[in-house]
Amino acid sequence: MANTSDVIIIGGGIAGTATGYYLAKHRLSVALFEQGHLCSGSTGRCIGGVRQQFTSASSIKLMMRSVELFAGMDQELDTEVHWHPGGYLFLAHDESNKQAFLDNIRVQRAAGLTDVRWVDAAEAKEIVPLLDTAGLLGGSYCPTDGQAYPFAVVNGYAQQIKQLGGSIHPFSEVTGILSQGGRATGIKLANGEEHHAPVVVNCAGPWAKEVGALAGIDVPVEPERHEALITEGVEYLGIPMLVDYRADGGYFQQFRHNGQFIGCYSPSPRVPGRSADSTFEFLAEMPRRMLKLVPALAQVKVIRQWAGSYEMTPDGNPVLDRAELGGFYVLGGMCGHGFMLGPAMGEAMAEFVRSGEKQPPFPEFALRRRFGQAEAMK
Amino acid sequence: MPDTTRQIICRCEDVTEEEVLQAIAQGAATADEVKRLTRAGMGHCQGRTCRRLVNQLLARRLGQKPADQRPVTQRSPLQPVSLKTLADSH
Ligand SMILES: Cc1cc2nc3c(=O)[nH]c(=O)nc-3n(C[C@H](O)[C@H](O)[C@H](O)COP(=O)(O)OP(=O)(O)OC[C@H]3O[C@@H](n4cnc5c(N)ncnc54)[C@H](O)[C@@H]3O)c2cc1C
Ligand code: FES
Repeated sequence: MANTSDVIIIGGGIAGTATGYYLAKHRLSVALFEQGHLCSGSTGRCIGGVRQQFTSASSIKLMMRSVELFAGMDQELDTEVHWHPGGYLFLAHDESNKQAFLDNIRVQRAAGLTDVRWVDAAEAKEIVPLLDTAGLLGGSYCPTDGQAYPFAVVNGYAQQIKQLGGSIHPFSEVTGILSQGGRATGIKLANGEEHHAPVVVNCAGPWAKEVGALAGIDVPVEPERHEALITEGVEYLGIPMLVDYRADGGYFQQFRHNGQFIGCYSPSPRVPGRSADSTFEFLAEMPRRMLKLVPALAQVKVIRQWAGSYEMTPDGNPVLDRAELGGFYVLGGMCGHGFMLGPAMGEAMAEFVRSGEKQPPFPEFALRRRFGQAEAMK
Repeated sequence: MPDTTRQIICRCEDVTEEEVLQAIAQGAATADEVKRLTRAGMGHCQGRTCRRLVNQLLARRLGQKPADQRPVTQRSPLQPVSLKTLADSH
């Protein structure tokens, strides 16, 4: 039957397409439904940063796996995702950040990330000659962190899902989860169509809570607005992603493939909700923050600004689990790190679904965990 | 008919007609999807030059009428502005 598959995936961002691809590789038939076009959610609004510098062993190891997957992706997906290990440099301008970074580096190295190291201000200046090091104590630097192009990654996964016999359905909003005897059996679309599968995976990003609610499942994910901007392309300057922890800091990097600078900062106070409105405040403030770090960029022109959602959980860790309704799975709550986590998390999710295991692979990402300490790195 | 496939549709991002047609063959049915697959419309002029051409190709390939075509999201700033000018504003 045309409307039946092994797995239905809701959401055409990185989580949905990566999960779908690795499931299709396991020879399962996949049908993916996306309410807009692919990448219309958070993934198409992110700035493409990929780093392994996290503070928990699971996240660090997953990110090391993601980096491995990004590095092999052109070949695996037969496309060009513009993976480039341009590095990440976290900047410390006060003693408490410096101490926190030194502690993190110890944890990261213990987890196997031996590429990360502390650099003092002089070495930071060697890595980024254009960096204004006024007040800088040093930073946490990992040269194997990097960047990739989100649209290319998502489209690469989607094309491979189709190659492997799966189907992709853009402009298809899921409005109902079908179930019988405590098990998910499929979905219903806004146009009334029904599709059936014994497994339904909620990869709805900032909409994860609403999609969970369709199945009567509470998913603790709340959207939060984050803004970004991008400049015209200029000569590639080899600047790693710079992450400035000061109150008026931010993060930005330059894409190697086209020379564009892209960046954002976390607003204070936070802006809850799924608004995608851009503000003039950000359009003035972000350039100030960029020029404070790299004054030489003064004449580079901004061509576009936009906003999107982080998908926040109470403790800053993602959710990768099955829910109380049989066959209903959740992968989300990536808290603003979903693009980088996506490949490894999608792979882990596919393995979890395929294995039929009851216990999720990472207890700290369980749906019904006790939400405690927050992940510390932005 | 002359072969127009090497013709540039998006001058800012150097996207050829062939690439746009390939995106349509991959399933893109709106200018927004073409933009995300090919970058046509993401350049310096933000699609002012190429949007119409992309829509014409979509219309030709998929038999769309202009009235049925979804508008592309427009984003500020409307003209490229230097980081310095923005940083010095208000
Ligand atoms: C400004 C900004 C910068 C960021 N920078 C980075 C970065 O540098 N690195 C990084 O790793 N992460 C970054 N992120 C975070 C990253 O974008 C997200 O964590 C990630 O994209 C989440 O992917 P996802 O697939 O879970 O969600 P999404 O990409 O949002 O995909 C979910 C999809 O589900 C669809 N959907 C929802 N409801 C339904 C329904 N009922 N029926 C059908 N479809 C539905 C949505 O349309 C959406 O396309 C950034 C985010 C923002 C906003
Ligand atoms: S011609 Fe396409 S963006 Fe300028």
